[in-house]
Amino acid sequence: MKWMPTCRETTELASRAMDERLPFADRLAMRFHLAICDNCARFNRQLQEMRRLFRAEAEADDDAPGLDPDARQRIASELQKKLGS
Amino acid sequence: MNTLDAHSWLADHGDYLFRVARRQLHSDELAEDAVQETLLAALSAQTRYSGDASPRSWLTGILKHKIVDLIRRNVREVEIPRDEDGEEAVDSLFRQDGHWVEPLRPWGNPQAEAELSQLRRVLDECADRLKPVMAQVFSLREVAGMETAEICKELNITPTNCWVLLHRARLFMRQCLELNGFSKAGAA
Repeated sequence: MKWMPTCRETTELASRAMDERLPFADRLAMRFHLAICDNCARFNRQLQEMRRLFRAEAEADDDAPGLDPDARQRIASELQKKLGS
Repeated sequence: MNTLDAHSWLADHGDYLFRVARRQLHSDELAEDAVQETLLAALSAQTRYSGDASPRSWLTGILKHKIVDLIRRNVREVEIPRDEDGEEAVDSLFRQDGHWVEPLRPWGNPQAEAELSQLRRVLDECADRLKPVMAQVFSLREVAGMETAEICKELNITPTNCWVLLHRARLFMRQCLELNGFSKAGAA
């Protein structure tokens, strides 16, 4: 990678940085780019914002729809079958 | 532990397990399968249930494996790294020289402004537009918080493919959220 990555390359680095610690050179290159590019800096912040939102949503005490009654019935009879076997 | 437990698991924890599965699989049908397989597996394994964990966390542990199994079956059917719409859709976001085609719009404060139910609706809509495997891998990482190395290993895909998949999923998800009302004038 060149010393200054493009926006596209920077989004790849920023995405990967969400998953693991980047090698030093990549991390430096990403920092350089983020320091001078508003769009990519915003992209990077929004990646973190997305993670926060999704986890908050997943942990929220829930009014999301539960099991459909038909599915519940079907699962109950599968359990019964297995219990009877 | 007796045989009545299986039915009480379904009654007491069925909805909970379904919601957890639904968030990661983005499909009612697959989530129902995951719940069924979880309870059947729990029934077979109940002698191994030590009672140390609450039934709910014991069942949730089994569910996690079943969710990964279901996604793994899905992955087999998809060519991951070079799927046509993925690559082209990424191309459309960037110019030839690697710059963004369109400036990114700032987001308001989604947590304050979006009701959870509204957020959930947007997430579902956006996940529907991704390839199922992409949405599922994204959710294993971002919703369930599984480590990338673990995801790659379980799904038997290379780390590079995993990063490509996650990079695309994040680009599309971000764009979709922006198009669905996350952008606000004058905020970060």
